[in-house]
Amino acid sequence: MKHFMSIVLCVATILYLASVPVLAHHSVQAEFDLSKPITVTGVVTKVEWINPHSYLYLDVTDGTGKVKHWSFEMAGPGALRKAGLSRADRGGLKVGDTVSVNGVLAKDGTDFALIKDVSLPDGRKFTIWSGDPSDNK
Amino acid sequence: MRQSFLVVVCVAFAGNASAQADLTGVWNGTTVNGPHIKSDDPLVTNLPARDGTLLNFERDGTLIRRANPNKPIYKPEYWEKIQKLDQSENESDPSYGCMPGGVPRIGPPAQIVQTPKQLVFLYVSPPAQGWGDPYRVIPTDGRKHTPLQDLDGTWKGESIGHWEGDTLVVDTIGFNDSSWLDIGGYFHSENLHVIERLRRDGNNLIWQATVEDPDVLLKPWVMNQRVQKLNPDPLAELAESLPCVERDLSHLVTKEHH
Repeated sequence: MKHFMSIVLCVATILYLASVPVLAHHSVQAEFDLSKPITVTGVVTKVEWINPHSYLYLDVTDGTGKVKHWSFEMAGPGALRKAGLSRADRGGLKVGDTVSVNGVLAKDGTDFALIKDVSLPDGRKFTIWSGDPSDNK
Repeated sequence: MRQSFLVVVCVAFAGNASAQADLTGVWNGTTVNGPHIKSDDPLVTNLPARDGTLLNFERDGTLIRRANPNKPIYKPEYWEKIQKLDQSENESDPSYGCMPGGVPRIGPPAQIVQTPKQLVFLYVSPPAQGWGDPYRVIPTDGRKHTPLQDLDGTWKGESIGHWEGDTLVVDTIGFNDSSWLDIGGYFHSENLHVIERLRRDGNNLIWQATVEDPDVLLKPWVMNQRVQKLNPDPLAELAESLPCVERDLSHLVTKEHH
């Protein structure tokens, strides 16, 4: 993926140039494994618009019919808003919708991941962040 | 006729003499930090987000921050403490744990409402560092500080402003020792004294803070100047600072941090 400069990353870059580590709540490397990408499709059970990161919760049914509760860390609500992703009544994430998510797994082995992008039922895809090493090879 | 003319001149002069700069505005345009590292510095040219990776984006940002030569100079007996706080920042940084940034870490305000006898500073998190309660009321009515021993130590302290020409000088004492001056383990004592200077230059708000803390610092720390751009939208409003809840700490497997 050559176009790694998503909107959010642009916002992040501006903030980064300001040396204000607002999107840098923690080191990604300390928490997530950039070499372990995952793709998950599930039903939205909850969205939390909180700082420093918003969270997306999905119920994911595997091949045997077993449901797993996944949580995804997103950017902060301000950055998501700038990227165009917001509440359901503004055309964003809605509880009950089936969405598809790309991300990278948490290193601690829990059903938790850092979100890269999310695709909504209406076909829109929002890139939350991108530019991991595997994408740039 | 001559008397009338003189009255007009006197009124005009008096008006000028009492005129203060108007800092009112939404100052949440692009933030530009002081030139602690120039844009043509090889560090900036080579380091930011090598290969465009998220990992390097973070690591290079940290390197650039650490290369900033303008740091508070602590008394030698605190050097080990600073190092430990820095190394354990994920646990020890109050801002990481969703606490307020405090003054001066909160930085320049995102909006200023100016009245003849007080100014109201409003902040939004982010980009202000720290969380919650992002406002300050700064009286400029000539009052003096409450004696330090009578003040409860707080994150924002007691701020009193006065004008020096077109510059608003905000003098703040009465802090707790819970906040950091900045990322990097820069703690302070309850004897912290912060002097902020705010000046309008066209559509730029120039903010600069000097930190005095003789209990722990060898000399006052003059922080890097920061410049806030005026939001050109006359109807601009600040977004609500949504609550902060820390949920990453339990997932961290290394001590790597920013």
